[in-house]
Amino acid sequence: MTSREPDRLRELGQKLDDVQRRNASGSKGPPPSQLGIAGRFATELVASLIAGGGLGWGLDWLCGHFGFHTRPVFLIVFFVLGAAAGIRNVMRAANEINAKMASKDLEK
Amino acid sequence: MAMTLTPMEQFEVKPLSGMDHPLFHIAGHPIYFTNQSLLMVVVVIVASLFLTLTVKPGRLVPTRGQSMAEASYEFVANMIHSATGEDGLKFFPFVFSLFIFVLFSNFLGMIPGSFTVTSQIAVTFALACLVVLMVIVVGFMKHGIGFLKLFVPHAPWYLLILLIPIEVISFLTRPISLSVRLFANMLAGHTMLAVFAGFVVALGAAGGIFAGLAIAPMLLIVAIMLLELLVAFLQAYVFAILTCIYLNEALHLHDHH
Repeated sequence: MTSREPDRLRELGQKLDDVQRRNASGSKGPPPSQLGIAGRFATELVASLIAGGGLGWGLDWLCGHFGFHTRPVFLIVFFVLGAAAGIRNVMRAANEINAKMASKDLEK
Repeated sequence: MAMTLTPMEQFEVKPLSGMDHPLFHIAGHPIYFTNQSLLMVVVVIVASLFLTLTVKPGRLVPTRGQSMAEASYEFVANMIHSATGEDGLKFFPFVFSLFIFVLFSNFLGMIPGSFTVTSQIAVTFALACLVVLMVIVVGFMKHGIGFLKLFVPHAPWYLLILLIPIEVISFLTRPISLSVRLFANMLAGHTMLAVFAGFVVALGAAGGIFAGLAIAPMLLIVAIMLLELLVAFLQAYVFAILTCIYLNEALHLHDHH
């Protein structure tokens, strides 16, 4: 019985190592749900528009402060840039989710 | 009997009764100790007590509380390690505090009659700004002026004129999307609960056959409550993992293309 003890301990150690490796590699928490993905895209898009519009509005305000009347110009330009940034963010998020799902599939 | 449904009433920030006098003034604005301030203090106290009292060193078999505290520690440590690598573990205290604060705010907000701190955009936006400022400071400390390369994608110069503003806006988006996601999830969940709770009251007040029907929204509330518990954890997790991802970008520039 005593001679078998180290073997069993080593087996247990190996199992523990396996579990640890599995935890470390892929499973970064719960997988994103459909609703979560949709929500993520929506917030990315809207947040970019707000950030772009806000930045343009602020620049207009700043220019107005120094006596240049640019009022709608920066707002329009940065709103469009914000839309572009939003689409870029959504593409980036989609890539991330794709990569995550691919690694999940590989594990199976 | 007229029943008025006020599902948004629960989000009202107001001074605590008996503390109607402002604590002090900042630039002429009175600062009150509100129900929100109280809940934030409670969150910090409860979280600190939970994490310190449950853990005793030298216990061979951990108690239930200690297992939970240790699991949360390991959960965050693993998250940082997998998202940012070895050198990200320096930021463990920062990420762990954020995670625990958001988690406990969400969970304590689930107690009927309490107040959800994270359903206030002021709170979540302040937390998100903290994260982004941290990322900027870390980035400049690690890479100096080279941190600005984060905004310069690989492209011919004539496209850069267009792409650099887009990258800058995309960076500025982060505090907004980070805070709006948490705030909107909590707000939507708690509003939904209050609306269905209002149905129960209204049906019960109607009496007769309607009172019997009140069981349906009641059961729905139980289901939504369970879902909200999941959302409470999930949103704290999302907040923490995004913090890790942003920190990773600041630490290792340009690995995300």
